Amino acid sequence: MTSLRATGIGVSLGGARVLDGVSLDLRPGWTAIVGPNGAGKSTLLRVLAGLRTPDAGEVQLDGVPLAAWAPRERARRLAWLTQQGSASGDLTAREIVLLGRLPHLGIVASPGAADEAAVERAMEEAECAAWRDRRPQELSGGEQQRVLLARALAVEAPLLLLDEPTTHLDPPHQVALARLFRRRAAAGTTLVSVLHDLSLALVADRLVLLERGRVRAEGPTDDPALHAALVEAFEGAIRIERVGGRWVAFPHLEV
Amino acid sequence: MFQHRDAQTRAMIPAEPTPRRSAALSGGRLWSVFFLIFLASGAPFTSAAHAREAIRDDRGITVTFEAPPRRIVSLLPSLTESVCALGACDRLVGTDRFSNWPDRVQALPKLGGLEDAQIERIVALKPDVVLASTSARVMDRLESLGVRVIALESRNRADVKRTLTVLGQLLGAPGKAEAVWAGVERATRAAAARVPPAERGQRVYFEIDPAPYAAGPDSFIGESLRCLGLGNAIPAELGPFPKLNPEFIVRTQPDIVMAAQASVADMPRRPGWSTLRALRAGRTCAFPSGTYELLVHPGPRMGEAAAALAECLAHLPPPSAR
Amino acid sequence: MTSDGERRLRLAFGLAVGSVVIAAAGMAAGGDGWSPAGLFRALANADGRFIVLQIRAPRTLGAWLTGALLGLSGAAAQGLFRNPLADPYLLGSASGAVLGVVLVLAAAALGGHVVSVATAGAIARFGLVGAAFVGALLGVLLTLSLARGAQETMHLLLAGVVVGVLLTAASDLVTSAAPDALRGKQAFLLGSTGFLGWQSCAFMALGLAVTLPAAWRLARVLDALTLGTETAASLGLALGRLRIALVVAIAFATALAVSQAGLIAFVGLIAPHLVRRFAPATHGYTLLAGAAAGGLLLLTADVLARTVIAPQEVPVGVLTAILGGGYLIWLLRRRRAA
Repeated sequence: MTSLRATGIGVSLGGARVLDGVSLDLRPGWTAIVGPNGAGKSTLLRVLAGLRTPDAGEVQLDGVPLAAWAPRERARRLAWLTQQGSASGDLTAREIVLLGRLPHLGIVASPGAADEAAVERAMEEAECAAWRDRRPQELSGGEQQRVLLARALAVEAPLLLLDEPTTHLDPPHQVALARLFRRRAAAGTTLVSVLHDLSLALVADRLVLLERGRVRAEGPTDDPALHAALVEAFEGAIRIERVGGRWVAFPHLEV
Repeated sequence: MFQHRDAQTRAMIPAEPTPRRSAALSGGRLWSVFFLIFLASGAPFTSAAHAREAIRDDRGITVTFEAPPRRIVSLLPSLTESVCALGACDRLVGTDRFSNWPDRVQALPKLGGLEDAQIERIVALKPDVVLASTSARVMDRLESLGVRVIALESRNRADVKRTLTVLGQLLGAPGKAEAVWAGVERATRAAAARVPPAERGQRVYFEIDPAPYAAGPDSFIGESLRCLGLGNAIPAELGPFPKLNPEFIVRTQPDIVMAAQASVADMPRRPGWSTLRALRAGRTCAFPSGTYELLVHPGPRMGEAAAALAECLAHLPPPSAR
Repeated sequence: MTSDGERRLRLAFGLAVGSVVIAAAGMAAGGDGWSPAGLFRALANADGRFIVLQIRAPRTLGAWLTGALLGLSGAAAQGLFRNPLADPYLLGSASGAVLGVVLVLAAAALGGHVVSVATAGAIARFGLVGAAFVGALLGVLLTLSLARGAQETMHLLLAGVVVGVLLTAASDLVTSAAPDALRGKQAFLLGSTGFLGWQSCAFMALGLAVTLPAAWRLARVLDALTLGTETAASLGLALGRLRIALVVAIAFATALAVSQAGLIAFVGLIAPHLVRRFAPATHGYTLLAGAAAGGLLLLTADVLARTVIAPQEVPVGVLTAILGGGYLIWLLRRRRAA
């Protein structure tokens, strides 16, 4: 069981305080980080992934400070997907997804049957196995995104930090992704995703509302107090209602 | 030293080192028989010792020659000129692309320059020696292929004299080297005699390059000018070929300006240069390219160069009263 | 086998066969132009054999080895900077090598004036090859220290440009004080395969034997970097150290090549492009094939240099510029037509 704990995270960027006193305890299950633009969500995810050292506070992975982990050890436990996904160059989709095995292989070892199997599984889950021999330039935005997602899944890490994983994806694929995340969360993966799509976020187990660098509210997704905080954070431009057995957020169009 | 033995040594002792003759010492009689044969062949032991020459080149490396080289490649125009001045022009089998004096040299295979010499063609000519300048990659490569290389630098008059001496030693004609140098000095003195007395001590600005680069007193051009009794507008501290601020030349107001024809024509257009008294008084030496080439390359033709300088000086308008 | 695999195989085969064929042609290219009859005649006597085996053979092989080193460095540099216009000279190696060469050439002239005669003698003893090699390595060291390591691509690039400008200015300063060094500097800038002997081949073969496996090992880092620096870091790669290792490999290979043959243009830039056009692949393949393509490219240029205007020679750098520039022009026209 992998735990990720952040205590008192503070980050300053060019004089502005992007994150301030953020403390989170992330457990197995699906946690969605939401908030208005500029709230510091992506920065928080970077700090949690160990890609940015906070100016204040500390992140602990399984009780050990993140900085103390050997890079490959950490990479085997923690997979990260960037928001600005780019896949350039001459690698085929399969070769890109295979890069997700680097934490296990290092730079020397050759991929074995287990690695190939992991790649296949990841591509199936992300629904991009059909174009394993195509290059990113030949794929649409959504197709590329699924390849990059498969790359993150191929790590088979117990902790997944995904920044806007649904970028470019059309509704059917968003739904498929949501199902995938639910499955993974139920199987014990700690999944943290930054999402701007609130309806999708409301499918998660827990919500963390970040506003202007601070944790405004946090709790299970069906908590009414959390909903109220959400509406307030988005300046009343949304409404959260129960539709067909699910919580749904939609724009409140009072023009 | 080689001269009277030349034909014999050529026949007996090749330029490449030969394996030593092993004499079987089976008894005194055999020994004396061999010695007699040795004598009869006309190649006495003492002569063999004198035939070997050890030439020390400008890198400090000593190269040994069993006999004067018969096939010579020269990769520097001044060395080509020196070889020909020493009467060994017919021994040249190839030169660099810039060698063009004397005329007979132009028919020889051109083997590139110092920096891009064509190794294969040089080796194919089977030279006994290659004459080059120091600091050239071609030397290391040729030496690694077993070709003998002599590196000689010719920057000033002392260098030229030394080069002639070394080449004279190499070619087996040390007397000729002395004669050639004596000829250069003679020609220089004759040129000095032709310089009008009024020009003595006049300060010359000799331009090497329009950048402008000038010839300082310590360069060989400066030395030639000094031999002709002239001064230099450039102080010696600046080195042999300093690159100057054009303002300096304008301020120093040289008495005579010497440069290539095209440069002199262009000088009045340079900012501030129209104030040069020498330009306005027409006290300039504008050398056509052939003569200019002669002047800026040190070598055995420095006597001719001095004569060309004197020729110009003799026809200058007289210096104005200061 | 996938079409990708087929193309890779075909390219590898083509590069190998092409290299052998043109190398054989190179043995017949000499002072009389291209003449296979001349080659057979030469092989019949001892002098001819000497020329073919001691001059033509090492020059031909040396041209391939130099091109291979440059092609490898170019492919690695393009992967490291994630820029298809990168070449191995970007890290300051070229300007460092030029400065080394210029110092040796000027040492004789400057001795006694600007520097003491003893210093001048010490510099001159380095030799042109040694000075170029050391200069190239020092240039890259300067770039690395200016960029504080190889962490940031942009910093490295900028540092490389700055070092290039500074060292070029230093060379110009030296040549303005000692104009005699200018011709030698020009020749070095143009590059030449004419002085490559068996010793040069031995050095370069050894260098290739060391840098090729090292670069191949690091190829996966370049693959990961195509996903972005942060993603590569998230995959557990010690990017700082690995990138420095890449820079060192590039520097060493480039220094070896330029010290033997001067600053031959375009080979490091074009060879990886040719590989990518025919057989896009992971960096492991691109590095190896890039080396082979660079070898074939420079080998071809060298053989052409010896034959087109025989008995004169075209400077090989001019030919690589024509071949490389021509390819780029063709590429541009294709892009515009598409």
